[in-house]
Amino acid sequence: MTSTRVLYHLVRADFLERVRRYSFLVTLAMAVYLGYGCFTGKVVVRLDDYRGVYNSAWLGSLMTLVATVFLSLVGFYVVKNTIQRDQETRVGKILATTPMTKSFYTVAKMISNFAVLAAMVAVMALVALLMQALKAEDPNLDLWALLSPFVIFALPAMAFTGAMAVLFETLPVLRGGAGNVIYFFVWTALLAAPVASLDKGATVSRAAYFSDFTGIVSIMGQMQQDLHKIDPHYTHGSALTIGDTQTTRKFLWTGLRGSPALYLSRVTCVLLAVGLALLASLFFHRFDPAREWFSRKARKEREPAVANGEPVVTFTSPPQAAAHLTPLQRSQNAASLPRLVLAELKLMLKGHRWWWYAVAAGLFVASLVSPLEATHGGIAIVALLWPVLLWSQMGTREARFGTASLIFSSEGSLWRQLPAVWLAGVVVAAVTNGGLGIRLMAARDGHALTAWIACTLFVPSLALALGIWSGTSKTFEAVYTVWWYVGVANHMPGMDFLGTTAESARPAMFLMMAAALVVASYLGRRAKLAYA
Amino acid sequence: MKLSIERVSKQYRGKVWALRDFTLDLRPGVLGLLGPNGAGKTTLMSILATITRATQGRVLWNDTDLAENPDAIRAVLGYLPQDFGVYPNLNAVEFLEYLAAVKGLDAAASRRRIDELLNLVNLADVRKRPLGGYSGGMKQRIGIAQALLNDPQLLIVDEPTAGLDPEERVRFRNLLSELSGERIIILSTHIVSDVEATATDIALISSGTLVAHATPEELLRQVEGKVWEQVVPSDQLTAAKQKYLISGTTRRSDGVHIRVLASAAPNGAQPLAPTLEDAYLYCLTAHRAGAAA
Repeated sequence: MTSTRVLYHLVRADFLERVRRYSFLVTLAMAVYLGYGCFTGKVVVRLDDYRGVYNSAWLGSLMTLVATVFLSLVGFYVVKNTIQRDQETRVGKILATTPMTKSFYTVAKMISNFAVLAAMVAVMALVALLMQALKAEDPNLDLWALLSPFVIFALPAMAFTGAMAVLFETLPVLRGGAGNVIYFFVWTALLAAPVASLDKGATVSRAAYFSDFTGIVSIMGQMQQDLHKIDPHYTHGSALTIGDTQTTRKFLWTGLRGSPALYLSRVTCVLLAVGLALLASLFFHRFDPAREWFSRKARKEREPAVANGEPVVTFTSPPQAAAHLTPLQRSQNAASLPRLVLAELKLMLKGHRWWWYAVAAGLFVASLVSPLEATHGGIAIVALLWPVLLWSQMGTREARFGTASLIFSSEGSLWRQLPAVWLAGVVVAAVTNGGLGIRLMAARDGHALTAWIACTLFVPSLALALGIWSGTSKTFEAVYTVWWYVGVANHMPGMDFLGTTAESARPAMFLMMAAALVVASYLGRRAKLAYA
Repeated sequence: MKLSIERVSKQYRGKVWALRDFTLDLRPGVLGLLGPNGAGKTTLMSILATITRATQGRVLWNDTDLAENPDAIRAVLGYLPQDFGVYPNLNAVEFLEYLAAVKGLDAAASRRRIDELLNLVNLADVRKRPLGGYSGGMKQRIGIAQALLNDPQLLIVDEPTAGLDPEERVRFRNLLSELSGERIIILSTHIVSDVEATATDIALISSGTLVAHATPEELLRQVEGKVWEQVVPSDQLTAAKQKYLISGTTRRSDGVHIRVLASAAPNGAQPLAPTLEDAYLYCLTAHRAGAAA
């Protein structure tokens, strides 16, 4: 079998496996919803109070921007599980015994990630086509103007995103929940760096082209230049906005102008993607259990004890003659909820390195000794992100580790174990951000304290509900990180669940949301159990 | 103490029936649930363990309907699923303590119980090692230990000896025999020798239906006088396989000794004492022939 044929079958199998999954359909639905948002004017590219006439060029570019910005973030979380799935399904062990090289495997995975994301891009291109027909602002369909932004910008961006997902999956620290959180900040930085170079009306620099993996600067830069020619009073404001943004004026934009630098930058983006996939092969463990953390730890602990230079067998017991089990009295089945909460808490906290606890303790102490403003506006915000990987286990642990059948066949798993998980999450929130709570109590700031309590109840409720309903910790890790960044770190009213400022705090709303999320968690778990 | 399975059927998506009209009454003892792969054993276990619901029929534990009060059975249930996972960062004691808390066991009683169980499954020496470093057989033994945590009156074990080495397998069989006094144990397997060693009753299941429910002796009686040994040259083995129902072959210097299941003795065949494997094969083949007819 030729390499091309092997590659084709690897990508095909991976692609089919993923597009038949629920998460693909959900993401696709979200992409279509964004397209609908464009149609209804909720998602717009705004240049001061201008927007383009909905012709092929404008719609193609608008939908391309939406696709690249949205899919380079959300799409990453959708596709960042391809190697993990090969490991979980044990298909990886079979693949590892074939002549396939590590670089071949990681490049194949990058291509299959790309194929999944490109399928979503194709759907969004279709939405753009439909939009032009339905909006009917310009009846002339120019297929090249409509589709070329997808080909030039969206597809290379998807290749880059797919490669980043493979790289993150192969790097030891980044393959887990920490990688999910870190990617958001990497994505923000990648998006923000070229945007800063969007100079008012000036030609987009070559450097900006090459750092602009989503194409946002390349596209919007040309839009700015063209509008400036039409309206010299245009102040060069531009944004891709979501929400009730009103644009009052329209201008006719005829489309992108290609240049060697632009095309070269997009080719570079694809080459960079291949480079990242090849880089990933250096870290790829090829499903060797000896290179997994647990195995290393276990091997270390299994190392034979040595006496006088001779190994001593330490853990083989002589076979027992007879089983001895003390009968258990039925009345002894009466463990209290606090014990179960403690057990859940222990489970949640296990497996983290010493420095995790050191940083958590440091944040707690810093919250206590710093000025209240610094605590409320800075330290507490960081302390709220630090336990994200503890919360993201909530509601997903049983499925992730395959213990569901053991736990759900136990007495009262719905009304004992589920509340215990939630309470353990609340305890984590209360303790890790306890420094702020104590300071607010001491300051007798009732309003801020209520917001802190609402936050303490809201975050674990969100984690539990998202965990149960999505079945994966990634959903909470991604949603929470974005929410934390937009709402808490940027003090956005209505989104700031910690209530970092008096203006942005909405404690009553978050208390109600916490209650609703607890109910959603209960209903979600109930639906998964054969018997409530 | 009794467990009644009354006309239970289970249909999965795609209109696949995993169980059909399955009826069985169980009293204390070890029931060996035998059947080929895909027969419906695991589906039945999952229904009894309250993991999945029956599409039709009902299950009664001491006359209490499982659908109305699942906790009645969960409170006395020990369940070892065919596939299960562990929390890799916990060690054996911590994992069992966690499950003891989930099962609602008293702290002091469960501590003593965990010590005894770890001794019993021969994991006492590695009790402090994270489960992530355990071998498949060791994980299986942790599964056995957790199933016995609450001193269950109903113990359901699905393919329990999978992954165990021969020594551990013997230990487990002995353990099941010792535990069988005042509880109902359901041992689901396709390994006949496991059932042979422990079961007081056997239920044969095929294509989701109950083929036979009998004691091992009753099953053996069904093939009494129907097991023969014949010696055939190697080159006639294929033809013999097409002609007879063969439950075993052994190559020797005089040819291949085949174990034939047949009502009448084949040419030159000598009668043999039947085994449970012969009975299993005979019943299944007869059932399939009946179903095909």
